[in-house]
Formats: sequence, structure tokens, C-alpha cells
Amino acid sequence: MIRDTLIAWGRETLRIVFTLLTALVIGAVIMWLSGKDAIAAYKILISTAFGGRLEIADTLLTATPLILTGLATAVAFRAGVFNVGVEGSLYLGAFAAAWVGFTLTSLPGPSLLIAALLAGAIVGAAWALIPGYLKARLGVDEIVTTIMLNYVAIYFTSYLVNYPFAVPGLANAMSPLVAANAKLPRLLPPSQLNSSFVLALLAVLAMAFLFSRTALGYELRVYGSNPLFARWSGMRPTSVILKAMLISGALGGLAGAGQVLGVNYRFVANFSPGYGFDGIAVALLGRNSAWGVLLGAILFGALRSGGATLELMMDIPLELIRILEATIILFVTAQFALRWVRRRRMSTASETAE
Amino acid sequence: MPYLEMRGISKQFPGVLANDHIDFSVEQGEIHALVGENGAGKTTLMRILYGMETADEGAIILRGKEMRIPNPQVAISLGIGMVHQEFQLLPSLTVAENIVLNREPRRGIFLDRTAAVQAIENLSTRFGLGVEPTVRVANLSVGEQQRVEILKLVYRHAELLILDEPTAVLTPQETRELFAIMRRLSSEGHTVIFITHKLGEVLEISSRVTVLRRGRVTGVLETARTNAVELAQLMVGHEILTTQKEAAPAISDETVLRVEKLQAEDDRGLMAVNELSFEVRHGEILGIAGVEGNGQRELVEVLVGLRPAVSGRIYLDGTDISYEAVRQRREQGLAVIPANRSLEGLSLPCTITENLISTRYHQPPCSHRGLLNLPAISSFAQELMVRFDIRAESPRLPTRVLSGGNLQRVVVARELAAVPRVLIAAHPTRGLDVSATQAVHRELLKLSSEGVSILLVSADLEEIINLSDRILVLYRGMVVGEVSASQANQEELGMLMAGRGWTAGDKK
Amino acid sequence: METIVNISFAMLRMAAPLILVAMGGVFSQQVGLINIALEGLMLLGAFAAVLAAFALHSALAGTFAAILVAMLFVLLFALFVLRFRANLVVVGLAVNILALGLTKYLLQVLFATRGAFAPTDLPGLLPLDIPGLRAIPILGGILSGHSPLVYVSLLLVILTHIFLYRTIPGLHIRAVGEKDDAAKSAGISVPRMQYLALILSGAFSGLAGAQLSLGNLQLFSENMTNGRGFMALAAVYFGRGRPLPTAFACLLFGFFEALQIRLQTRVGIPPQWPQMLPFAIIVLTLSLISLRQARHKA
Repeated sequence: MIRDTLIAWGRETLRIVFTLLTALVIGAVIMWLSGKDAIAAYKILISTAFGGRLEIADTLLTATPLILTGLATAVAFRAGVFNVGVEGSLYLGAFAAAWVGFTLTSLPGPSLLIAALLAGAIVGAAWALIPGYLKARLGVDEIVTTIMLNYVAIYFTSYLVNYPFAVPGLANAMSPLVAANAKLPRLLPPSQLNSSFVLALLAVLAMAFLFSRTALGYELRVYGSNPLFARWSGMRPTSVILKAMLISGALGGLAGAGQVLGVNYRFVANFSPGYGFDGIAVALLGRNSAWGVLLGAILFGALRSGGATLELMMDIPLELIRILEATIILFVTAQFALRWVRRRRMSTASETAE
Repeated sequence: MPYLEMRGISKQFPGVLANDHIDFSVEQGEIHALVGENGAGKTTLMRILYGMETADEGAIILRGKEMRIPNPQVAISLGIGMVHQEFQLLPSLTVAENIVLNREPRRGIFLDRTAAVQAIENLSTRFGLGVEPTVRVANLSVGEQQRVEILKLVYRHAELLILDEPTAVLTPQETRELFAIMRRLSSEGHTVIFITHKLGEVLEISSRVTVLRRGRVTGVLETARTNAVELAQLMVGHEILTTQKEAAPAISDETVLRVEKLQAEDDRGLMAVNELSFEVRHGEILGIAGVEGNGQRELVEVLVGLRPAVSGRIYLDGTDISYEAVRQRREQGLAVIPANRSLEGLSLPCTITENLISTRYHQPPCSHRGLLNLPAISSFAQELMVRFDIRAESPRLPTRVLSGGNLQRVVVARELAAVPRVLIAAHPTRGLDVSATQAVHRELLKLSSEGVSILLVSADLEEIINLSDRILVLYRGMVVGEVSASQANQEELGMLMAGRGWTAGDKK
Repeated sequence: METIVNISFAMLRMAAPLILVAMGGVFSQQVGLINIALEGLMLLGAFAAVLAAFALHSALAGTFAAILVAMLFVLLFALFVLRFRANLVVVGLAVNILALGLTKYLLQVLFATRGAFAPTDLPGLLPLDIPGLRAIPILGGILSGHSPLVYVSLLLVILTHIFLYRTIPGLHIRAVGEKDDAAKSAGISVPRMQYLALILSGAFSGLAGAQLSLGNLQLFSENMTNGRGFMALAAVYFGRGRPLPTAFACLLFGFFEALQIRLQTRVGIPPQWPQMLPFAIIVLTLSLISLRQARHKA
């Protein structure tokens, strides 16, 4: 059994590496067309991402929210729910954590931190329940609703820090600082890498455990593989969808809370450069598995981390990284498909044997 | 010179030699029956003729000239048309739009509706295929839809028509109408190949018959000079062994499943189950006979808990389960073999083990306090594989690699792992070959002798008559006849299924 | 009365890009493919329009460029979905990410700007003053003086309807969308119809992008589509893929957008509330429709 797992991991990694290489080639082409030296760029990318302890720490820092949003998306996808609303859960979870952090300051010691994290997860989960309920009970397509609700969440939290919770005298829209004991400890100063990374790792373990060892995990993935069959077997769609969205939203909220309590120590309007959407890319790259998500998030973290330096040093816009990411997604899904098409051709052939 | 000759046709699929050097010929204007059991190779042979498959070996000679038929478009251009078992109609489009699709009379890029309607009306009258061109196909009966399919072929100037199991979905009355149409076609010079496994029909309508068994031709006969017994022997190779039920074993008076005035709607909001009432006793097999589309599917869904009833009640062992969820009903002892194995009964991408525990994963021994007990699950799966003869290398394989018969064994294994109170078996042997079918029949009979109540829903009258203790005939959602199996015969049941009202079925 | 006319005028102006892209959505819906990439295609169209208009000093060139670029990218989408059988939703999302990244990247690389590109001499789609139209009481005020693409959008709704329900290619598209095996057995080339529908949806998305960047404002700003592609998708769901109800939904959403802008300038209301409005309304609308459908069945 362990051998099987190792072989599967090996294949996954190979696949991801191959996809990455293809994307890098395309990125190189784009850079050359824009008159930049691609090889120098990639050298900088690698050294920035993995060149030293601090560099690795920064990569992991960038990867942390992606791990969580990736897991959030993956959990929902496995249950057959296309939750594209992780960004919304992230924002609201972030604000909730911040609020607890600067309001409930009388809470002693670590309990403030825990309360803030919990608040982030709970609010993120609650937000995801809205489209979840609409889908489960009314059959409303979750793709459109979750995307729309993202915008609502972003504007709403922006309102919150521009009006009721605005800090007078500050130019940017942001909330008050959270109390000292609500801050997540730094792991490797001067890097901003903090314990939210540990949380993310725990989440990876938890998700792997969920899907392989628990009845709930079994239920979610079997339902995702064939909802009709699941209903005939006695599973309740409403229950499955809501549970999936709850977990998904909680992870998204936790991602936001991690950023607030670990990096910024306050809620800043529009702080997310699209962590939620990137979570989708990570989930896809990682094929919705816990370990795949971890790998994919670190990969994207490396790209981002390195990308920021690229921008500084070689005047290559950070968005190149986005282009690379999109390319990666396209090729990942194409790869699925090619293998699947081959399999399908074989099985249809045997089906028609009459 | 025969109109069509297929010489030495062979076709291999992974693991199966579907056609083994088959020689098949048809004369112009004849109605030629192609018979054999499920899996004999009839459909494959016709798919090759229609260009949907390519033969590995052999030749097709049409009107004396050898032809290559790489795809259906070429077949159609050669005058060959096929009506499949599953209709290829577009429900939201009208009859006219369906018939002229891709051969539309046009005015520029616009569809010339008047010309289309006119052409269809002409053809309709010529062949006795009365359909309204402007009606939407969704609103037609099955028999009418089939006529639209035939019109499609005729509109495209098909001279050779292949009908694949056309009577499977028709009432006896509609079958008679179809036969009239076939005779019309034949008299106008068209040739008809008619695939079936119903020997009575072969004898009634065809002029010649070719029998296939296991991919080979076992006989080519003139219908007038043969009979059902001979044909059956050629089809099966020996006397048909029907799993006959022995004299009624212990059927107690205890009612296990009771349905009272059940009413339910179908997906379109029309009444599908209409004040249905019946009971099934301990150890009894109650057969529900009826042409598909008369409420059987909705009835099963309501009993299982997947479709809400509009009114009425369901009692299991005296408890009212009318509002209970699927899981609760299963926990009370309801089990079901769904009609659609691969969509409802299994999740193909999941492993055999995962499919086997789908109804009990949340309970001990499979799980305890939310955690799966993997060793227990594994041994449970192994045990079931042995007990139900599921043939696969390992229970960790995804079910999609299994054959039809094996897939059904997985479903049966799961549902019967614990002895249920009531088993609903919906078309349990559909698509299975002879040995797999017999295995399922044996299992059902064994269960009923152990006291399990079985509700058998099937379109196969032979199966129903052989297995059931009592038979209810369903027509338009109502019970129109109740017959005890010992006194049942196909004719009478057929009439009831067509809605010809009650006969004093109990007395003979 | 003034206000009603003003708001209706604004509604039409805001709805036009939605209608254009939604008609594209209608085609892909009718052929059975949900086009999640509408947002990205529109954005790429908007950028291409500004780029071409700037380089060639012509709004017309810009419009054509928008159409061509969007069609190019929709072919990419088609390639991955139809040829490689990749998941529709995933590829759509990927195209959106690509569009966002590419436009930001090019903005920086080509124009050395971030945020927005608004050259003073950018030729826009100038409003048409149709003689005689203005003279009609009330309607004249609402209908006259729009960018030409607004009129195109209205015309497109009618043309889409006629195309789908009266012509043969339209019939084939609907057949493929309903049951592709049946269409295939009738000899219709399913991929051809799918490509056709997707190309049309790309072209219209590009047109919508051109209206957005050249018709309303004469500039390109990062992410200027801001969810409109998804709103159009919502409109398509609302109208169940039929052109007329879909267009109606677009007008409705356009109304809320127009309202939102007016409310923003009102003192006392935080701007975020009106900004949220269209999105929240869409969720509400879709929920109400599903609610009514559910009640109908009960």
C-alpha cells in the first residue's frame, strides 16, 4: 500500500514538474518578445525563491494563504461544488479576525489569538453557507452566486474600514491594529513568516486525514463522484453541500485571518491580490489532493516571491507570473483530459461489444 | 442477387469477439429478422453496416457492388437508415424540425417551414405514418416518436431500414401498428432488417430469419418453415432453461410492504403514479409488469424516497415511512437494485470497496465515531467479493473496469450484504447475458425462500412470469390487473399492459 | 420626468456592454457550453480596442481589433475544451486569469503605466445623433445620443433571436445543445457548431469590451470589466439562454448599475453600498427565479 502511494506521489510530482516546464517555456517566449532576458529572469526567480533560508522563508510566507485557499477550493471541488467564492470568505474572515483582535482586547493571553482565528473561520464558513444553501435548497448555480458574493464581500469590508471602523488620521483605509497577544508569532525574523504557515500545514494534514480516514470525507468525495448514486445510497445532497461549503468557507476565512494576524496586524481594504482565485489555480494544479495543493502552493509562492524581485530588478511586471499560472492551469487540465480521453476510448470500445 | 450481402464479417473488442466471420444476406423488399440473445452480436453487425463501427475483416456488398462504409453519413447516402433502440430525437424541437434536420428545405439560410411540413405530410400518408408535423416531440407518445424516427429514414430516401429492437418500448397494440407500417414499407420495395429477441414477433412478421449466437451465424431460415422451438435452440444452443419457481414456499400472511393510494408526478408534472395500492407479503415476489413509461420508474423512486409522493402512504412492517428519507428507509430494511446500474447503482470512478459500503459507511463496523475502520471495511469487501462471486483482481480497483455482469454483482452484493426486509429490484437483468441473468434470478429466488419480500419491476414478461408469485400490471400509473403467476400468460398480460382493461385474471 | 429619462438613458448605456456579451453567452448556452470566460474575453477586447485605437487613431480599428482578439482567445478556450476535453469551468477560469494578467502586463510593458491608460487624444466611439429620433417625446431622450454600439446591441438581440429560431445554422446550434448524439446522427458536425457558437460568443464579447473602453469612457483601466462578464452569465441563466429574456435581465442589471452611480455621488451614502448593489441584486434575482421554479413544481 505504501508503495502504491509513493508511486502515485511520484507521478503527481512528475506531472507538476512537466507542466511547470511547459509554462516556463511559454513565459520565456513572452519575455523575449518583450525584450527581456528570460534566462537571467529565471535565475533571479530561483535564487529569490530558494536561494537561502530567508528566501525560502519568504516563499513559504507567500505560499501560506495559497495553501489555505487551495485547500478551501479543493474540498468543495471534490464534493462537486464549484466554490469560486473563497475570496469572499477570506475577506470577511480577515475582518472578523481583525475585529476580535482590536475589540476583545480584554481576553487574556493566547485566548485572544485563538478567538480571533476562530472568528475568522466561523465568519468565513457562514459566508459560504449562503451560496451553499441557495444551491442545496433552490438549485441556484453556485459559480455565479459565489463570484457575485465575492464582490459584495470586498465592497462590504471596504465600507467597514472606511466608515464605522476607520482609523482617523490614516490615509489608507484600514482598521485599528490588533492587540499584541493577537499577533501570530514570527518564525524566522526578519522574514514575515509566521505561525499561520504552521496552521496551513496542519490544515493540509487535516484535509488528507479527512478524505482518507473519515466517514465525512468518504461522503464528500463519493457524492462528488456521482451525486445521483449518492442519493440512491442514502446520502442527502443538502447535507453534503452545506458541509462542503462550511469547511471550504472556514478554510478561506482562516486564510484571511492568517494574513491579518500574521502579516499586517490589521485589516486593510483590498489587501488580497487575489488569494482566493489563486487558490483555484493551486487546487487545480494539485488535482484537489491535500499534498498536491501543498506542492502547488509552494510552487506558486515561489513564483510570486521571485516575481516581486523580478519586477524590481528587471522591470518585468509581476503579472507575468499570473500569465504563467493561467498557462499552468490550462496545461494541467489538458493533461487530465488526454489521459481520460484515452481511457474513454478503451471503455467505449468494450461497451459496444454486443 | 441479394440486395445486401455481408461476407465474412469479424469484429473484435477487448475481451470479446463480437462477430466471428459472419455471412449475412438480405433480399430486396423482404422483412428480415436478425435474432439472438443479448450479446450475440446482432447490434454490432448492424452498427458495422451503418458505419458506426468498422469490421476487422469482411466485405459489405450492396446491390452487387462492394462498399466501404466508414461512417453513418456514407451509409445514409447509400440508402441505409437505422432506428436505434434509444431514439435520437430532440424533444424541444417539432416533429418537422426533427425529421428535416440537416436536410432542410431552405430559402437562403432560412428554414422553409411550409415546404418541410408539406414533404412530411406526403410521406406520412404514403406509409401510413400519421404524425402531426408541428407538434413538439416531447409531447408525443413512444409509438409516435418511433414513427418520427422511421419518417426520418424515409425522408432521407432510405431503401434499407434497420430497426434495432423496435418493439421493446411498445405496447402490443403499437407493435401491431408498427408491423403494418413495416409491411407497407416492404410492399413499396423497401427492405427491412429487424433486430429482436422476441420469437413470436419473428414468426409473425418476417419472411426470413438469421440467428446469431456468440458472434456466429447458427442458422438462416425461411420463417414459414420454422418454429419457436427451433429458433430458440439455434439462439441458445439448448432448450431454454428458465429458472422456474418451485411450488410456493412459505409465504406467510404477514404484510411487509404496504402501499396505500399512492400518487406521484413525473418530472414534467404529469400524474405518473395514480392512486396505487398494493401489498407484498413476507417471502413473496410481487412482479410489476408494464411497458416502460407507465409509472414504474416514478413508483420505485417514491418507494425509495427519492421522489415525494403527492398523496398516499407507504408502510414497511407496519411503520409509516412515507416521509422518511432514503437513509432511514434503508435502515428500516429497504434495499433497492436501481434500474440504471452505472448511474444510480454505482459510482464508476470509485473503487469496488467504496461502492460496497456506500449505504453503511456511517455505521459500525465501517466507521466508529466518524472515523473509518479501514481494516474492517477491507475484510467486509473481501467477504462480499467471495460471497457474491465478484470477479476482479482486487477490491481496490475502480469499478469502471468491470463488465456489466460484474457490475451488477457489486450492486447486488451491496444491497444484500445484510438481509433486507424488502428488496426492490428494478430491471435487474437488463443488459446482462444469459449466465449473469440466471445468477441474478437464482439469487432472487433464494432470497424469497429466506423470507425476503421482493418487488420485481421488469419489462421482460418471461422473467416476471418465471419469478413472481403474483403479478400486477401497471398502466398509466394504475393497477389494471392482478394475476397469480401460475395462471398468467403473455397474451393476457400483454393486453393488460396495453390498457385493454380487466379480465377475470384470477379465474381460468 | 427628467430623472426617469436620464436614468433610462444611463440604463441603456450601462446595459449595452452587458447585452452584447450576454448575446455571446446565449450562443454558447444554446450549444450546450457554459462560457465562464466571457469576463476575460471582454477585458481582452477592451484592451485591444484601446491599443488599436491609440495606434491607428481610429475607433473603428479599435472595435475590429477587439473583435479579432477576443475571437482569438475564444479559440484558445475552444481548443482546450473541445479538442483536449478539459473541464469547461476550469478553462474558463484560466482564461479569465490569463486575461487579467496579460492586460496588466501589457499595460506596463507597452505603455509604462499602471492602473489606467487614458491618453487625451484617444478616439472614442462618438455618440450618434440620429435625426428624428431625438424629436420623439420621452423615447427620444432615452434612445438618442448613444454610442453606435448601443444601437448595435439592441439590434443584435433581434438578430440573435432570428438567427437561432428561423435559420438553419441556428436550428443546428440548438440541436447540438440539446442532444449532441442526435444531432450527430443527423449528420451535423457537432464540433463545427460548437466552434461557431463559441466564435460568435467571442466576437460579441470583444464588441462589448470595445463599448466599455471606447464607448463610455475612452480609456482602459485594470480589470475594468469588474464582473460584468459574470453578470452577463447571470442574465443568461435568468433568460435560460433565450435572447429576449436575457436582454431584459441585462436591462435590469444596467438599471441597477446606473442607479449605483447616481447614488455614489449622493452625499451621505458610502460609495461601497451602491457598488455592492448590482451584485447583490443578481444573487437575489437568481434565488427568486429558482424559488418560483421550485414552487411551481410543488
